[in-house]
Amino acid sequence: MFFHIVLERNMQLHPRYFGRNLRDNLVSKLMKDVEGTCSGRHGFVVAVTGIENIGKGLIRDGTGFVTFPVKYQCVVFRPFKGEILEAVVTMVNKMGFFAEAGPVQIFVSNHLIPDDMEFQSGDMPNYTTSDGSVKIQKDSEVRLKIMGTRVDATEIFCIGTIKDDFLGVINDPATA
Amino acid sequence: MADEDYDDIDMGYEDEPPEPEIEEGAEEDVDNNKNEDITGEPLEVDDKEDEQPVERPRKTSKYMTKYERARILGTRALQISMNAPVMVELEGETDPLEIAMKELRERKIPFTIRRYLPDGSFEDWGVDELIVEDSWKRQVGGGN
Repeated sequence: MFFHIVLERNMQLHPRYFGRNLRDNLVSKLMKDVEGTCSGRHGFVVAVTGIENIGKGLIRDGTGFVTFPVKYQCVVFRPFKGEILEAVVTMVNKMGFFAEAGPVQIFVSNHLIPDDMEFQSGDMPNYTTSDGSVKIQKDSEVRLKIMGTRVDATEIFCIGTIKDDFLGVINDPATA
Repeated sequence: MADEDYDDIDMGYEDEPPEPEIEEGAEEDVDNNKNEDITGEPLEVDDKEDEQPVERPRKTSKYMTKYERARILGTRALQISMNAPVMVELEGETDPLEIAMKELRERKIPFTIRRYLPDGSFEDWGVDELIVEDSWKRQVGGGN
């Protein structure tokens, strides 16, 4: 799920970025530092959308750097248990398959793939129904439900299932 | 039994005469609150005057202490040495400390000094507000 929230961060700024463009430099450094990172609490920071307020700077002794407390608005993406997501399959093996929904890796075990789908090995490993009408392989788009999440300090990893109504392949590049 | 013993001891302790109060020396330090000198650690804040942290009338000295001067010159010279934009016109100076002194003379150093008082409160003074004297008591700041 996506959220638009306000976060705060203390930014250290090198003296060479002072002057009339200090604010712009601070904002671009913030974007460079923060976008694409992941925190266990808030999820992935997708984009910084605005600056709420930049506090008074504090000069660090000995280094000459200045620390600014910056409050910024950003879009974060955090997967939740039970959430339905659409994802692109990246790897298929006999244990199941991996899919990616933006920055999140999701693993779907073969226990959580419908029983009528069988693993087919080969140079393009895939899961196929007995009548061959549905096929999951690399680059397939699947709709899946998140069964569980593992949240580290800098990474979120999910376990998903397609063993439920309305889940499974939504667009197969092989048939399209 | 043990409890009674314990009580006894307690009572005995309570009945002891109070320690005589130490009287010498108590009056010696009293007038040190008239001391004008500021010893609170100065702390520079970058220039952004939004809200006043303490009640309006500030009570610390309007003179920059030599410690504040030293710290400001040192910090500013460090920043200049790290390629910070210089706030004054240069006339061939290359030494960062010299440039920092020139900036201080022209009151162009973009710092605010945060003076902490013993009770934990603080006052913010812009470097451009403070009167700078050099070590030989000659006034060096100001517009002359």
